Amino acid sequence: MNVVFKNVSKHFGVINALNDVSFEIKSGDFVFLVGPSGAGKSSILKLVLHQYHPSSGHIYLDGEDIFLHHKSIVDKLRRNIGVIFQDYQLIADKTIEENIALALDINGVPASEIPARVEKVINQVNLNSRRHLFPSQLSGGELQRSALARALAVEPKLILADEPTGNLDPENSWMLIKLLTDINSQNGTTIIMTTHNMDIIQSLNKRIIAVKNGAIATDSQPVVVDIVKVEKTKFKKKLKRK
Amino acid sequence: MNPTQNAWHHIRRSPIQSLVAVLVMTISFLSLNLFVIVSNGMSDVLKYFETKPEITIFLKDGLDKTTVENLQQELTSYPGIREIKFISKDKALSLYKEQNKNNPILTEMVTASILPASFEVSVSNPTVLEQISQNFSAKKDQVDEIIYQKDIIKSLLNWTDIIRKVGIISVSVSTLITFLIISVIIGMKITNRKEEISISRLLGASNFYVKKPFLIEGIIYGLTGGFVGALSAFGLSQFFAKSINHFFSPITFISTNISFYIYLLGLSLALGSMIGFLASWLGAKRYIKF
Repeated sequence: MNVVFKNVSKHFGVINALNDVSFEIKSGDFVFLVGPSGAGKSSILKLVLHQYHPSSGHIYLDGEDIFLHHKSIVDKLRRNIGVIFQDYQLIADKTIEENIALALDINGVPASEIPARVEKVINQVNLNSRRHLFPSQLSGGELQRSALARALAVEPKLILADEPTGNLDPENSWMLIKLLTDINSQNGTTIIMTTHNMDIIQSLNKRIIAVKNGAIATDSQPVVVDIVKVEKTKFKKKLKRK
Repeated sequence: MNPTQNAWHHIRRSPIQSLVAVLVMTISFLSLNLFVIVSNGMSDVLKYFETKPEITIFLKDGLDKTTVENLQQELTSYPGIREIKFISKDKALSLYKEQNKNNPILTEMVTASILPASFEVSVSNPTVLEQISQNFSAKKDQVDEIIYQKDIIKSLLNWTDIIRKVGIISVSVSTLITFLIISVIIGMKITNRKEEISISRLLGASNFYVKKPFLIEGIIYGLTGGFVGALSAFGLSQFFAKSINHFFSPITFISTNISFYIYLLGLSLALGSMIGFLASWLGAKRYIKF
């Protein structure tokens, strides 16, 4: 899914959360949104999700200005977006399995197919032993993985991940990142992820949009690696050692 | 979880609110059904008197046979006459003796000469009674007195009218209260599940998708209240049917017709589900704004 922000501003009273922000994320991109707390990263995700209404400017998803459309179109767009919320947003009196099934039901997946789809994502995030538990019975990391499972279950065109590794240990953080990169490369799913985890950012070589004080500070494209040049350098180093 | 399972889940999660909703609905339908049963009884009483319209014309003493025959001939000329019975003085005496057979002194004292001869006229159309009454009252030299059920019917009509008005007002008020209570209860449940609704909306659920379980919940309250209310009313009416029907004998005030109760039950279920649906729809419309 293609995401375009055109001169978007968002004010909360006198506070400017975002100020004249413009960028384009192409379909199939994996983009990190970085910046200090309160910089406006979550606001960008909430605007994409139509959770916030921009004070000015336009937001296009696959070329459609989402704030010009009827609510039913917004519902349809949301069904194509998988969200991993910072605060998980899991329904307290439903089990993890039921939370995932709900997302599938909302997406109109036939009831007969839901158990298999739930089974698949639960196994993907290693939550098989926790599937019948309620959110209050899980740890922060397990909740994060549950939210990820729900987002993946609907096979979305776009995944919005707000600090998805915030509550995860390194092992689970890497598992989550691997899952996201696999989905990005295999399905062409667009991924926008906010994070403070510099290890992950540096190791992945993806586009990084840095947000500061509600504005885009830098927008760095991934470094195009010249494989021939790298291999040539490696070969020269090996020769020198000999 | 389909919407019906979801509605059932909501009911189980707040049993007191659900119980209040069903109770209010039940009371409403109990009063509605009792009102219909009583109204039906009143109509039967009225019908009984209306379908048995009679007028009794007492004749003056000393009329010759030809005059009596002329009067009888005139009566037969009215439309809708079912039967004309002439009660001669002798027949009147035998009736009197029959009515007072336990009081021999009275029967010995009274002779045929002091009892008036009369015509008992029954008609199929009660409006003709008024006409007969007016025309025969004018024959003062032949007619002594006229008695007919106009007053009874008038009084019955008044009572039926009062009962109907009071019934309709009280049933309407109770239905309105029920409607508002269900609407408020659904509103409270929506407020309790605000988080779930807003999460579902973020996941792409349509407005109708999140409303559906609450609408079904309202219909469940309506159906349950309608069913229990109707059955309670039937039970109560049948419990008192024997004594009430004995009092109104030969009229069957409390109906014993099973199809009447099946019809009432169907009506209660249909009305209940409609009230439940509309009330929950109003509640959902007011409270689901995200």
